[in-house]
Amino acid sequence: MKLAKYVKFREEKFGGVLFETRSEKVYTLNPTATAVVREIQSGSAEADIPARLKQRFNDEGKAIEQEAAAFIAELRQKGLVED
Amino acid sequence: MAVSANAPAAGSGVPATTPAATESGDLGAPLYIAWQVTNECNLACLHCIEESGPGKAFHDELNDEQVFRVLEQTMDLEVPYLSFSGGEPMVHPRFFDMVEYVCGRNGQLKIETNGHYLTPENCARLKELGVKAVQVSLDGASRETFNRMRVRGDFDLALQGVRNLHAAGVPIEINYSPTSFNVHEIGIAVDLAAELGAYSFYTGRTMYTGNAVKTWHRMAPSEEQYGPFFEVLHAKVDEYRGRMRVYFHEMGLLEELRYRLHHPAALLIVLPNGLVKLINALPFVCGDLRRQSLAEIWGHFQRAWQDPRVAKFVDDLAQDPRKTATLHQWVHL
Repeated sequence: MKLAKYVKFREEKFGGVLFETRSEKVYTLNPTATAVVREIQSGSAEADIPARLKQRFNDEGKAIEQEAAAFIAELRQKGLVED
Repeated sequence: MAVSANAPAAGSGVPATTPAATESGDLGAPLYIAWQVTNECNLACLHCIEESGPGKAFHDELNDEQVFRVLEQTMDLEVPYLSFSGGEPMVHPRFFDMVEYVCGRNGQLKIETNGHYLTPENCARLKELGVKAVQVSLDGASRETFNRMRVRGDFDLALQGVRNLHAAGVPIEINYSPTSFNVHEIGIAVDLAAELGAYSFYTGRTMYTGNAVKTWHRMAPSEEQYGPFFEVLHAKVDEYRGRMRVYFHEMGLLEELRYRLHHPAALLIVLPNGLVKLINALPFVCGDLRRQSLAEIWGHFQRAWQDPRVAKFVDDLAQDPRKTATLHQWVHL
């Protein structure tokens, strides 16, 4: 999985931004969503990302994992990532 | 989990805005730089907001070294999206070198052109370099209207240019400026854009500035004409949904500027001489790339919007809409 052709990502103090330049839509991301995109950019397997974030954020529950999985699904649904 | 920069709320959906609607306050750099690379143009269009034309290059346009220094800063700051316009950007002697630099550093670049230099060879080069899109101005769906508006222009040449883009596989956007004598062609123009393979069609109200100040009496659409114009566009949005984006600004300039006073967009307008404007529709300059870095100017951008002269100009515009005639009398903040 990687960012789609027309999607650009930039880190910001508050997290990051995704910019889909074809539709000219901008998505602002919080730190957790930013961490997901960073994992995608570094080539992590989709299935591994929720668990990696859980570990990274020292989350003992399931919140981070669930949010990460939901966010990845949303990225797919909006065409912001591709295989 | 993806949220607005100003309203973090875990678990929300991913809200989408546009660069023009994304507030700039929390961002480390612009999201979009609209760069008028030269004021020189092969055409002398009746409505040109930049007063471009043959022999109209500024005497102090950025030299090669300055141009590439600005491009380098832009890429270093990870500005994700740039456009080159003019004047006519393709007459700039280093045009393709500039395109190559931006695309070579993975920048997303749009070219805004009148389409007269879109030969098959140039289109193939733009494709090879990887531009994001080329936006061509097609103001009219016929020779009669296009050539009347685009003085020295050739409708058939522009049309062939768009066809050459399509043949080369370059994504196409069409821009359309309404006038009293082409406004009735809007439906046909949208259909033509789709037939030519465009993925976006843009239009909006023609502004009273630049060349339009001199030609307003013979080219400005009336409110009676704008009514059916926007009605057709609303219908075309639905007709082409999923195939081509039909995008238009129905809002008047004053409403737009009043909104911007409180929500400056995350974009900078760079003039051919390196001056940086707050927004095209205001005369205010917030920096000079010949003397300041892009990062410095971005740091000043928010404060510049809060300068009382900006709000006063917008208030005055409500009383006298013709103040836009002074947009080229730059005011340094």
